Amino acid sequence: MAVIETRGVVKRYRTGGETLEALKGIDFAVEPGEFVSIMGPSGSGKTTLLNLLGLLDDPSEGEVLLDGEDVTGLTDREQTAARKRTIGFVFQNFYLIPTLTAKENVEVPALFDHDPTVEERSVDLLERMGLGDRLDHKPDELSGGQKQRVAIARSLINEPRILLADEPTGNLDRDTGRKILEEFVEITERDVAVIAVTHDELVNEYVDRTVRLVDGLMGADAPTDGGRPASASAGGGDETQPTGGGERRGSDASGGDRP
Amino acid sequence: MRWLRRRFPALLMARRNIGRTKVRSVLAALGIVIGVIAIASLGMFGLTLRYQLTQNLGDIGNQVMVTPADSSGAPDALTERDLRQIESVAGSGATVAPAVQRFTTVSYGRGTAETRAVMGIDQPGKLFEAREGSIPEPYRSGALIGPNLADQRDLGPGDTITVNGSTERVVAVLSPSQGFGFTDPSDQIVLPTRSFDTRGYDTVTVTETDSTAANATAMAIRAQLNDRRERVTVQDFSGISDQIGQSFQALNLFLIGIGSISLLVAGVSILNVMLMSTVERRQEIGVLRAVGFQKRDVLKIMLSEAVLLGIIGGVVGAGFSIVAGLVLNHFVVGDAMLAFRPGNFLYIGLAFAFGVGTSLLSGLYPAWKAANERPVEALRS
Repeated sequence: MAVIETRGVVKRYRTGGETLEALKGIDFAVEPGEFVSIMGPSGSGKTTLLNLLGLLDDPSEGEVLLDGEDVTGLTDREQTAARKRTIGFVFQNFYLIPTLTAKENVEVPALFDHDPTVEERSVDLLERMGLGDRLDHKPDELSGGQKQRVAIARSLINEPRILLADEPTGNLDRDTGRKILEEFVEITERDVAVIAVTHDELVNEYVDRTVRLVDGLMGADAPTDGGRPASASAGGGDETQPTGGGERRGSDASGGDRP
Repeated sequence: MRWLRRRFPALLMARRNIGRTKVRSVLAALGIVIGVIAIASLGMFGLTLRYQLTQNLGDIGNQVMVTPADSSGAPDALTERDLRQIESVAGSGATVAPAVQRFTTVSYGRGTAETRAVMGIDQPGKLFEAREGSIPEPYRSGALIGPNLADQRDLGPGDTITVNGSTERVVAVLSPSQGFGFTDPSDQIVLPTRSFDTRGYDTVTVTETDSTAANATAMAIRAQLNDRRERVTVQDFSGISDQIGQSFQALNLFLIGIGSISLLVAGVSILNVMLMSTVERRQEIGVLRAVGFQKRDVLKIMLSEAVLLGIIGGVVGAGFSIVAGLVLNHFVVGDAMLAFRPGNFLYIGLAFAFGVGTSLLSGLYPAWKAANERPVEALRS
């Protein structure tokens, strides 16, 4: 069963007198342990979709199912609890808390749990990320890649089933980016689904499949871009493309909107 | 420290955040420091003033006077039994002085005779002190006269006066009273009671250590002697000392009111600091919400921050207030150690509580604002 699924999700924003439809009916599902990237030009609704998947926002129509359970319409409190239980976040800007050490940052999501094993788990995670010698460093004493690893460790502290990454390699150089993506692959091996929203083609070398989002539509529903269909094999709702590595680069319709 | 962190995890975040913008936090806490000092020292100032005044007025209103009741059917004198009952309810530090009073003719040397009140008392030392001569103990003969009378008639120890036909030698001139009581010595003529052909007493004066004790004794005497019928009239100065107390209470409230204005300003400054901090840390708060912090968790963190500022300011302010109290008491009363009276600590505690309370109140709105920010909005940058 899909760990997270959207059914006919529509998201409208009201700006001034105008109503903007950011997502126009998205059907999307991710299995446990799957590594999926969502690509698309700016304004295509990637971030909106990620927010809906992360229970940070409610769709205007349709439903979001977490483990087969509809989570739309839950109270803020219930959504927050569900988010804490099943979803980890990794951001482009890391968003570590500058006053806390690496270890404390990793412990933050469990701060109010009064759980004595948290410290042990955070040290474990940081060691797994190769930061065993950086436990008591503040974020400004860490490199970009190290910060992102701390952020990943933080996202894993509550043992989530899904990890949502917003441009995880956006602020990293290529080599560091690769290392972070390798971490993601390793995470998926532990049955955690990773969904990355990105502009970075590099990500596609590691993912199980890439989903394209154009103008609020996904895969086959997406309008064609530059005369070419956005999806090569218009089969189902989702575009599933096993990635073969670097050769895919250059043949992608990424909307020409790289960071 | 570890225990505290485990118990109140929000404190960790709060403490680090306060450390992040040190100058700003110090300035915000300084407002609380000043407010706490203002309230505590103005409160202590009022208290010290009151203490000094009561000290100067001396035994202000510490006397209780018992006289036979006016009502018909009541005995016209107080009996020995009444006296024993009064003695039994009076405090251990109290003196009980029974006295009689008669109107009689008095003449001074060659002057003309006049009719006036003469007091009979066995232990005048309980009510009076001598300015000239000395009050004999035991007191069996001779007259004591008040200072005004002595000055007017040019009398002193050794002179004689004639009371009710018999000649009495003046043994002492009384000294004027300190503060005020029921028996003003200035124009008294005092004789031993055996000079009076009488049974029972016209007045019993109880002198307590202070007005509160006097008030309590007055109530006890009323309860004891008047329980079945109105036999005695009991007078005390509780009304007056209450009034003085009330005036000082009003003065103190006014002073504290002034002090509170500075705390209000401090509160506004904390509000400002917290609001700035909320805006600056918008994304950070968004991340906290994203990783699963409930609204109330964010609220807790922000409130702990405000309260921590208040506690730091309050502790420092209380420390300075004690110093201020020492200085105040040293110069006003002349004894710095009087700063450690319980009343002063009440004001310091009050000021501290006000300081922390102000911080808490000032933190409420920013904390509420931070907690209710939608994480989606907060994370958008």
